[in-house]
Amino acid sequence: MSKVLGLGLGIIAAIGGFVDIGDLVFNVAAGATFGYQLLWVIVVGLIGIIVYSEMCGRVAAVSGRAVFDAIRERVGFKGAVVALVSSEVVNLMTLAAELGGVAIALQLLSGLPYRWLIVFAVVAFAVVIWVTTFEWIERIFGFGGLCMLVFAVVTVKLGPDWGKVGAGFVPHIAHTNRVLYAYFVVGILGTAMTPYEVYFYSSGGIEDQWSPKDLGLNRANAILGYGLGGTLSFALMITGGALFLSHGISPQHLGTVALAAEQPLGQVGLLLALVGILFAVGAASIDTVFAGAYNLAQFCGWEWGRYRNPRGAPRFALTWLVLLVLALGILMTGVDPVALTEYAVLFSVVALPLTYVPILLVANDKAYMGRYVNGRFANALGLIYLVVIMIVALAAIPLMILTNVGQN
Amino acid sequence: MSGKEIDIGLHVLDHQLLDKDGRRCGNVDDLAIEGGVGEVPEVVAILCGPGYWGQRAGIIGRLASRIGGGRKVRVPWSDVGKVDSAVELKRGATEIGLGRGDDRLRPYVDKIPGAGR
Repeated sequence: MSKVLGLGLGIIAAIGGFVDIGDLVFNVAAGATFGYQLLWVIVVGLIGIIVYSEMCGRVAAVSGRAVFDAIRERVGFKGAVVALVSSEVVNLMTLAAELGGVAIALQLLSGLPYRWLIVFAVVAFAVVIWVTTFEWIERIFGFGGLCMLVFAVVTVKLGPDWGKVGAGFVPHIAHTNRVLYAYFVVGILGTAMTPYEVYFYSSGGIEDQWSPKDLGLNRANAILGYGLGGTLSFALMITGGALFLSHGISPQHLGTVALAAEQPLGQVGLLLALVGILFAVGAASIDTVFAGAYNLAQFCGWEWGRYRNPRGAPRFALTWLVLLVLALGILMTGVDPVALTEYAVLFSVVALPLTYVPILLVANDKAYMGRYVNGRFANALGLIYLVVIMIVALAAIPLMILTNVGQN
Repeated sequence: MSGKEIDIGLHVLDHQLLDKDGRRCGNVDDLAIEGGVGEVPEVVAILCGPGYWGQRAGIIGRLASRIGGGRKVRVPWSDVGKVDSAVELKRGATEIGLGRGDDRLRPYVDKIPGAGR
């Protein structure tokens, strides 16, 4: 029974937790620009994150190693330093963007000044993470994030041309504006396969003391959790296409996304959308800040754990506190969280191979994995995605420059 | 430690250190290997701490070492109990001098309410 409950809670957390500010920004903007044409990219990204999460969850269950441990063990000290520095930089940008998103949602709900709400949000997160056990954080943010499901209702209410929606799931290349199309392909893949998700996921598996007996749970968590979370990405893109493309609006502000729910559902829709965004992006902030602390602690060999109280893992606690303060500093410069999100996603794409190559190597290491080593199916998918990751990593910066960060 | 053959480069170096109570107390940052020409080289100690990072990765390593405080701890191989996916030690971390950063920070963390939730 507790297993079913655990799985249920895990899935709820994943639905709310999969969608972060990157998904909100890229999927809605892609819908507003290309309609339903990029839906297939979400599917590609979803399968990718499922394949690699299952793999690193399996590594965690069988060998007891989290991703960053594996990185250091497999690519050596020098490579690990490079991976650590780049992942911490990207992670900090992402954290600042997520916290900015939280402040925007709070501003739209309360009408108070944005800058004060940034400070409020950071202090509130610091206090909540310090004094609350992770079980409660997961539940509160998981259930709050479920309000995002309002976008599924919006999708149906808007009555999109379902034939065109279906056609969007078939991979194809746009007839016009191919460079911008490619930019969105890279961005959508990047948000779906954000590295902080696998760091957070694998470290969680270690903390839940997964053993080979839990491999079924791992697979179910990865497939159902990310799969259901991904349906929200579909809803966001379809909403963007049905509402904004036909009106020629390009949503530059996070509030525009929430307004999409007001059109068919009125005030209640708007409120649900804002609360959903607040909790979903809030959950992503917590995942991100923990991912940053996990990486440093695992690189250095310190004690770590989201279920540990600050006394049990002092340097880990200090690390996430410092990361929150640094993110606050970035936001106080007045940088636009939506613009920051785009940069964070693109830079994370560049660093993707540093995360995913070592996972594939370790999952193939017999000395670690014994009979749970990657099978042919996992390896075929893993290799295909490795090629995809390499291509998008190389293409990210040129596309960013060519499109002026998606402006034309 | 005998019988099973292990690749120390792949399965010891850069692995997590656990003390006798399972506490995470550092990584295998380097190994001390002894043995002259013609002798069988032998691993005599695990070297742990940012102080050893400089010899691993040139300038980047020295920079990281400086940021990390440059502490060095030498753990004799006789203290190693078991080499699994982590390297398990026979003694406690504090006794060996490992995990000192966490131990030093703990009293300050404890002063903030809620640290022991």
